Amino acid sequence: MPNTPDDDTSAADPSLPAAVPSGGLSREPAAGVGGTLGGGLDSGLGAGLTATLGQGSGLTAQGVHRSFGSVRALAGVDLEAHAGAVTALVGPNGSGKTTLLLIFAGLLVPDAGQVRVGGVDPVTHHQAARARTGWMPDVFGTWDSLTAREVLLTFAAAYRLTRERAEARTTELLETVHLTEFADLPASVLSRGQKQRLGLARALVHDPDVLLLDEPASGLDPRSRVDLRILLRLLASQGKTVLVSSHVLTELDEMADDAIFLSGGRTVPAGTVATAQAAPRTWRLRALSLAALVGWLTTVGATWLPDDERDPAARGTGPGDPPDGPGGVLLQVDGEAGAATLLRDAVAAGVPITSLAPVGGALEQAYLALEEERR
Amino acid sequence: MSTDLSTPVAPAPEPDPTPSGIAPERGTWALSWHGVRTVAVLDLRQRVRSTRWMAALVVWFVVVGAVTWLTWVATDAAFGSSRDYGSTSSQVGPTIAGPAGPTVFGLIVFFVLFLGLLVSPTLSATAINGDRNAGTLATLQVTLLTPAEIAVGKLGASWVAALAFLVVSVPFLILALTAGGTPVLSVVVCLLVLALLLAVVCAIGLGFSALTARTSGSAVLTYVTVAGLSVISPMVFGLTVPAITTAEPVRVWNVPADFDWYAGEPPTCELTTQSMTRTHTERTWWLLAVNPFVIVADAAPGARSGTSGSGFDVLGGIRELVRDARTGPPTEINYCEGRFGTGGADSPVAQREPDRSVVWPWGLAVNLLLGAAGLATAVRRLTIPQRTLPRGTRVA
Ligand SMILES: Nc1ncnc2c1ncn2[C@@H]1O[C@H](COP(=O)(O)OP(=O)(O)OP(=O)(O)O)[C@@H](O)[C@H]1O
Ligand SMILES: [Mg+2]
Repeated sequence: MPNTPDDDTSAADPSLPAAVPSGGLSREPAAGVGGTLGGGLDSGLGAGLTATLGQGSGLTAQGVHRSFGSVRALAGVDLEAHAGAVTALVGPNGSGKTTLLLIFAGLLVPDAGQVRVGGVDPVTHHQAARARTGWMPDVFGTWDSLTAREVLLTFAAAYRLTRERAEARTTELLETVHLTEFADLPASVLSRGQKQRLGLARALVHDPDVLLLDEPASGLDPRSRVDLRILLRLLASQGKTVLVSSHVLTELDEMADDAIFLSGGRTVPAGTVATAQAAPRTWRLRALSLAALVGWLTTVGATWLPDDERDPAARGTGPGDPPDGPGGVLLQVDGEAGAATLLRDAVAAGVPITSLAPVGGALEQAYLALEEERR
Repeated sequence: MSTDLSTPVAPAPEPDPTPSGIAPERGTWALSWHGVRTVAVLDLRQRVRSTRWMAALVVWFVVVGAVTWLTWVATDAAFGSSRDYGSTSSQVGPTIAGPAGPTVFGLIVFFVLFLGLLVSPTLSATAINGDRNAGTLATLQVTLLTPAEIAVGKLGASWVAALAFLVVSVPFLILALTAGGTPVLSVVVCLLVLALLLAVVCAIGLGFSALTARTSGSAVLTYVTVAGLSVISPMVFGLTVPAITTAEPVRVWNVPADFDWYAGEPPTCELTTQSMTRTHTERTWWLLAVNPFVIVADAAPGARSGTSGSGFDVLGGIRELVRDARTGPPTEINYCEGRFGTGGADSPVAQREPDRSVVWPWGLAVNLLLGAAGLATAVRRLTIPQRTLPRGTRVA
C-alpha cells in the first residue's frame, strides 16, 4: 500500500516526527529522543535496545488496512511512534484506535500493510514482538477470584520471568500503581479505577520496550491521572515507546510528545493537522481591570467576545458602564506569534494583564478543527 | 532516529529484520511444562475459589453413596429372598455375595460415569469463550504462552476437576468390591477408562468453547455430543435393526420334521436349508462400541470369568451383548448339538465360536480422536494474530 503521503513531511523535518508540529505539542524534538535514550540506557534495558535502535525501534505502521466483514475499521494507517516519546492516538469513536492497537499487540493480522514493533513484525515474529510489547486493553477483565498479587504473578510466569524476579517485580509494580494495600484482596472487589491500575501494572510486568495503552485514564481519579502521566513520562525517559489512545485531550496534551489523529480508519495527514494548528485559535485574555482591557481593545479596533461562562461580572460590558474589576475576554489570535504580539502591545499600553492562554488544549483545538465525523 | 528518517521508508516489504539476540520462535504447538502449569493453576484457582467446589464434591459423595446403598439393598432383596428372579438362580449359592457384587459394582461404575458425563461439560465448555467474554483471554494470549499451552492447560484444569469427582467415588467402588465377585483389577481398569473418557468429554467441551461465542451455546453443543455418544448411538442402533434384518437361507442341522418320536430310535439329524430372518448387527455394532458405557463395560475384566456368579454382572452382560452384536448371526445352525447323543460329533455344521475379542479399543480410539479434534480446534482458534474473528466477537 503506497499510502504514505506524509512521510516526506516528517522526513524533511525530523523535529516533527508524526503529526502535530506546533509549539505546545512537540515538547521534545526528535534530537531529544537520542538524548533521553542516552540517559535511560543504564537502567537495565541496555544493549538490546541499542542494537535494535539502528533498524528502527518504536512503532511503525505503513498502509495498514483491516476490515471486519463489511466494516472497514482501518483504511490506510501510516504512523511512526518513536522510542523515548509518548505518542497520543486520538480519534472519534469507531475510528479504529483499538483495532490499530490490537494489530500492534499481535492479536489481529492486518489485511494489508506493514507493522513493526521495535523493529519486529508481530505477524511473522509474534513471540519476539510479544516479548517486548505491553498491551493494556480498554476494559481490563480480571479473574474474579484471584488476588491482585496473584494476577501479576501469573502474568509474570506467563512471560517466563523467574520466580524471584516475578516476586520482586510484582511488589514493585503494586507499589507503583498504589495497590499494595489491596494486593491480597480478590481482584473482583477492586473499584474500576483500581482495576484499571492493576491492568496497567499487568501490562508492565515483563518490562516491555513498547507500551500500547488503550484509554488507560478512563475511570481514574485526578490523582491517579497525574500518577499515570508521571509514570508514562518516566517510562518514555527510559527509552520506551509509549502509544496512548484516549479521549481526554487535555490529559494527552500534558503527557504526549506527538499526536496521531485517526479518522474513519485513516491517519489524518500531518499537513492537515498543521493547518488546523495554524488556524486562528481562541485565546482567553484576562486583566486586573476589565474596563481598561476593554477600553484598550476598542481603541485598537480588535474584535472580542465577553468571557461569559467564566466571568458573570463581564456580562454587563458593552455600551453601558462596565463595573470595573478583574475580568477577561475571548479573542481570535493568529498563532503563537500573534499571541506574543498581542501581549506585548497590551502590556506596552499599560493594561494590567494577568494571563493570556489558549482556550482548550492544542490537541482539542486541532481535533475540533479537523471536523471529525463521529461514527 | 533522524538518520533513520532521512531516508524515506520504502513501502516495499523489505526482508524482515530478524532481531538479534532473541530466542527462536516457539511454534503454535510448542508445549512446556511451565506454561501448561501456569494456565492450569490459574484456571483451577479461579474455579476452586469462585464455585461452590467443596459443596459440589460433598453432594457428589452423598449422591453416589445413596445410589450405592440403594443398589446394595435392592440386589439383596432380589437375590436374597426371591430365587425365582434371574436366569442364573439355579446356580446361585446360598449367599448373595456371588451375583450381587458384580451387580452393585457395575451399577456404581455406570452411575459414576453418568454423573461424570453430566458434570464434565460444565467444567470445560466455558473455558475459552467464558474467558473471552470476561476479557481475560486476550491478555493471556499476548503473553509468551503458546496457544497449545493455553489449550492444554485449560484442558488439564478441567480434567483435574473431573478427576476429583472420580476420586470421591473410589470408596464406593471399593465397597462394592467387598461384596465379592469382582476382581480387584476391575476397579483399576474402570477408573482408568473413566478418567480417559472424562478427559475426552473435557476436550470436546474445550473445542466447542473455542468455536462458539456464547457459553450457553458451547455447553449445549457439548451435551448434545455427549448425549449422541451415550444415548443416541444405542438408540440409532435399535432403530437400524429393521434395516439390517433380512430373510436369508440358513443351513440348519436338525432333526427331520417328519421324524417319528415314538419309534424308539435315536433321531438322526439332517441338513436342511431354511429361510430365517437374520439381523446383521455386525454391520452396526460400532454404534454400540463408541458408547462410553459399553467401553467401560467391555474394558472391565470379567467378573470371575468361567464361574457361575457372573450371570447378573451388568458390565459382563453388556460385554456379551456387544461382542455378540459384532459377531453377527451365524449362517449355519446346529440344533442337534447337545440335545441328542449323536448331535455334536457328526455334525457338518462347523462349531462356531462367537468373536470374543475386545471391542473397547475401537470405541476408546474413536472417543480419543474426538477429544483430540476438540483440543486441536481449541489450539487453532487460540492462535494469534487472528485473521478472522468469530462473527459478533471482538478481541477487546
Ligand atoms: N470484531 C469486530 N467485528 C466487527 N466490527 C468491528 C470489530 N471490531 C471493530 N469493529 C468496527 O471497527 C470500527 C473501529 O473500531 P474500534 O474499536 O477500533 O474503534 P475505536 O477507535 O477504538 O473506538 P472507541 O473510541 O469507541 O474506543 C468500528 O466501526 C467497529 O464497529
Ligand atoms: Mg476503543
